Amino acid sequence: MLFWIIAAALTLAASLAVLLPLAGGALRPAPASSPDMAVYRDQLAELDRDLGRGLIQPAEAEQARAEIGRRLLRADSAAGLKAARPEGGMLKFVSTAAVLAIPLVSWGLYGMLGSPDMPPQPLAERLAKSPADSSVDELVARAEAHLASDPSDGKGWDVLAPVYLRMQRFSDSATAYRNAIRLEGETAARQIGLGEALTNDSGGIVSAEALAAFEAALKLEPTSPKANFYLAMAAMQDGRIDDAKNGWQRMLASLPADSPWRSAVQEALAEVGRRQAAPAAGGNGPTQEDMAAAQAMSPQDRSAMIETMVAGLDEKLRRDPHDVEGWKRLIRSYVVLGRADQARDALSRGVAVFGAGSADGKTVAAFAASLGVTATE
Amino acid sequence: MTRKQKRLSVILGGLAFLAAATGLTFYALGQKASYFYMPADLVAATIQPGQRIRLGGLVEKGSIVRGQGGNVAFAVTDKEKSVKVTYTGILPDLFREEQGVITEGTFGPDGVFVADSVLAKHDERYMPKEVADGLKAKGVWVESESQ
Amino acid sequence: MVELGHFALVLALALALVQTVVPLVGARFGSQRMMAVAGPVAVTGFALTALSFAALATAYAQSDFSVVSVWENSHSLQPLLYKITGTWGNHEGSMLLWVLILAFFSALVAVFGNNLPDTLKANVLAVQGAVGTAFLLFILTTSNPFARLSPAPIEGRALNPVLQDFGLAVHPPLLYLGYVGFSVCFSFSVAALIEGRIDAAWARWVRPWTLVAWIFLTGGIAVGSYWAYYELGWGGFWFWDPVENASFMPWLAGTALLHSAIVMEKRSALKIWTLLLAILTFSLSLLGTFLVRSGVLTSVHAFASDPTRGVFILAILVLFIGGSLALFAVRASALTAGGLFQPISREGALVLNNLFLTTAAATVLIGTLYPLAVEALSADKISVGAPFFNLTFTPLMVPLLVLVPFGPLLAWKRGDVLAAAQRLMTAFGAALLAALVTLVFIDGASVLAALGAGLAFWLIFGALTDLAVKAGVGNVALAVSARRFAGLPRSMFGTALAHLGLGLTLLGMVGTLCFGAERILSMHAGETVEIAGRSVRFDGLYPARGPNYTEERGRFLLLGPDGAVKTEVTSSKRLFPVRQTTTTEAGIKTIGLSQLYISLGDQANDGSVVVRIWWKPLVILIWGGGLVMMAGGAMSLMDRRLRVGAPARRRSKAVAATGAGIPS
Repeated sequence: MLFWIIAAALTLAASLAVLLPLAGGALRPAPASSPDMAVYRDQLAELDRDLGRGLIQPAEAEQARAEIGRRLLRADSAAGLKAARPEGGMLKFVSTAAVLAIPLVSWGLYGMLGSPDMPPQPLAERLAKSPADSSVDELVARAEAHLASDPSDGKGWDVLAPVYLRMQRFSDSATAYRNAIRLEGETAARQIGLGEALTNDSGGIVSAEALAAFEAALKLEPTSPKANFYLAMAAMQDGRIDDAKNGWQRMLASLPADSPWRSAVQEALAEVGRRQAAPAAGGNGPTQEDMAAAQAMSPQDRSAMIETMVAGLDEKLRRDPHDVEGWKRLIRSYVVLGRADQARDALSRGVAVFGAGSADGKTVAAFAASLGVTATE
Repeated sequence: MTRKQKRLSVILGGLAFLAAATGLTFYALGQKASYFYMPADLVAATIQPGQRIRLGGLVEKGSIVRGQGGNVAFAVTDKEKSVKVTYTGILPDLFREEQGVITEGTFGPDGVFVADSVLAKHDERYMPKEVADGLKAKGVWVESESQ
Repeated sequence: MVELGHFALVLALALALVQTVVPLVGARFGSQRMMAVAGPVAVTGFALTALSFAALATAYAQSDFSVVSVWENSHSLQPLLYKITGTWGNHEGSMLLWVLILAFFSALVAVFGNNLPDTLKANVLAVQGAVGTAFLLFILTTSNPFARLSPAPIEGRALNPVLQDFGLAVHPPLLYLGYVGFSVCFSFSVAALIEGRIDAAWARWVRPWTLVAWIFLTGGIAVGSYWAYYELGWGGFWFWDPVENASFMPWLAGTALLHSAIVMEKRSALKIWTLLLAILTFSLSLLGTFLVRSGVLTSVHAFASDPTRGVFILAILVLFIGGSLALFAVRASALTAGGLFQPISREGALVLNNLFLTTAAATVLIGTLYPLAVEALSADKISVGAPFFNLTFTPLMVPLLVLVPFGPLLAWKRGDVLAAAQRLMTAFGAALLAALVTLVFIDGASVLAALGAGLAFWLIFGALTDLAVKAGVGNVALAVSARRFAGLPRSMFGTALAHLGLGLTLLGMVGTLCFGAERILSMHAGETVEIAGRSVRFDGLYPARGPNYTEERGRFLLLGPDGAVKTEVTSSKRLFPVRQTTTTEAGIKTIGLSQLYISLGDQANDGSVVVRIWWKPLVILIWGGGLVMMAGGAMSLMDRRLRVGAPARRRSKAVAATGAGIPS
């Protein structure tokens, strides 16, 4: 509201700047002497000064004076030729057009270009508002700002690390876990988190460093299902299928009956069985590891994983919205998940980012249309 | 000399000056402008020994060899042909493998390009404009849709 | 606040539109009221543009990432200075700065132009308004700095690390003040063409305005040159880069304009030429803006480029340059030409100066545009660099510089070359001595270097001779000449200072180019290298951390003759993680007027580092000379005689009523 009041005040001021001179009362009387003559008189005075200082010779000064005198005469005869003409309908027409142009042009153009409903969003203010109202991004940014100024706050890293992991910022998460371990000492949870972050960062491959992290976690908490599960998976990826099988079987034996890990382990073992039955067929498929990871999950876990991925993508696009492919993927994902509303929402957000008229905006809209998603319903 | 002759001589002098300046400018353009080539263009081009040219392309992966005292050798490629380049000095901060680069210098007798300047100025896509245009023309480089 | 800035900018466009049309119609039909609109509208337009700029700068300072341009060019961890200077460290913001300065100059004309004839003032402001309208439309339609982003990202993409430097705070504003300052001269010229007559007041106004623009442009170029020198780490001060040329061409033309305006003011001659030169100078400024902003050139200045912008600026260029030149072709014959004069005279010398300077500007223009023309007409890509400019520019500059000291010593109307030459004997002797000393006492000095040094001293002593002669040193008693010296008009000091600065700059160039030393080598920690008789020890690399970067600092120690450490120089490589960009921070140590310049290269596997070390004698003079030139310009500007009126000196009411000049 305040914005509109100030905008109106500005428009008024601008209009007055046009209107007042046009409506102006008494006109300035024509100057007694033309500006040209003032210039020449000034030059004459300057000449006298130079002469007085001895900067020029009297003869030169005389010549110069004669020349300026000639110009003065010329200017004098030229002056007074121009008389102001009467101002009639012309003035009225132009004044009206000019005064109207100010609000029309400004409000019209601003209506097309502006976003009057968007408040300014200074970063400090966004970070200072109550945490309950903040988005995850804002909370993370606040934590990052704090850690940038005090990087030795181990607790801060400890809080941030799992958040990064959920946001799919895997390498940031790994760094945060490493810092937390360095500053706060190692715990099984931190080591497992580090291993998980590293594994996800390398696309599901359990690297040597990740393996070391899981092993360290097992030393602290030998029964950790997650660490055991990933260790078996590492063995599977190495081709040590028997080790993997043993690992999972040991888990199955020791897991409580109601453990959510049971089904995952059973799936994994089933996959091991298939691999052993047809070692050649699945031996070197390129997506072996991905498959193993997905296969190893129960249907519920799998859909949970997909949900996480879609949510992560959604988060990422909120953070960094200029990504045509990302928007396409997000819309497709929601369509596949059968969430028409969210797909529509993603479409309108994506188009808003690029502008409806832009090439990228059109690309996104066309893609969505091909999936049967349109902006209005 | 009469007034008229004087004025004429001044005007003629001015014209002669302008003619000389114009002549010099176009002579210098012919002599000193250096042409831009990509490695594959060199096959068709005839380049005099000692003629300054600008050679642009991508820094070939794994080709950078650092020698003694700031000497460095690398290859510039457009994915069709590649040319060996030597340079002495500090490489620009943006000089990287597989990134666009423009080198300026002359060909030595052994067919190695001796560069006296290496430029890796670029836009945020890490590609000097000339190189990007050249690679696009060859179909090697496709504009990526997003960052 | 952000949206208010956006609205203010749109409102400024509406006002610029009115400022273009109403005064123009008013001047055409002799309506005082319509002409009176120009002033208040120009001032209000400036206030609104300033408000808009302040809004954008605030958004940058507060890291408001809901503004697209802030998100693209800022980061919350940047130091506040770079957050603020980042406002114009990108295409959108820099165009807004351009328009702000244009509006500022319009407002100055409006406020201080009371002594101008009504129609002239109205027409000048109308032309300013037209330029403003075009650029405001350009900004709002193709490069809107106020475009918003929703939802707002939480972090920005950071300012290009190369621009994260104090230079960005100074270089663009100065340069734009110079570029855009010439718009006033342009508007005066077009206004004169529209009216079909050149007023005496016109002649008096053009010179101070040219001076203002010239001072800023000189400063902008000097700062830009020094910035490139220390930031790029290549040790060069001028690269004949097209973008540098884009600022150098208006400078050459502007310098010519400065000199021809003197002839017009003093002798009422060269009027039409001065008018054309004013148009050409601003045209070159516009061309520079086009070359830099359209992205037809590759350089650090071409932020992200977009073809629609290039086409739009090209259209503006064609409209204003083509339009003004067409107007000139049609109307110039209607103007009263100035008087004729003798070739051997002060005015003759100034014409010669114009001939050389405009020809030089033309060669730079050809060298800059030729590659674009060749690329457009054939498939060939060529580049025109330093070798071309050395071959064409130097032969034009050398005779000009030889002639410079003669100019101020020739009298108006009828000069005496022989008398001037006699007075310059001392300067000639000094120059000869300098050349001989260089040749004999400096090892490895070439004849060319000696001649360069001689020429520099010729300029310096020529400028001093000018002042000495004007004060009558040697002709009258010392006390009298001292009194006369103190009483000399400031514009004379201005001339002498500017010419002196030119000599200093030349001396700096000769010193750096001819007597500098350079070494490239790889060094291990603890190694010592000799350069130009100085020992430099490499102490080692140390990691360090800045607010938004990490760096490897190379510590170098300058050793005295006894091996004791005299001083320390650090040169570093900075890594900016947000943009994954590395920059080189050269290590520079100023010793007297010379500098030791150390640039750090890559680290080899064996732990050694490639190091490039320069010894640059007298290098400071290159930019110091620029400062002296600026001081000369300012001195000349302060000379009240240049202004119409000069109320402070005389109490006469009649003259005081005609108003003050522009502020100094």
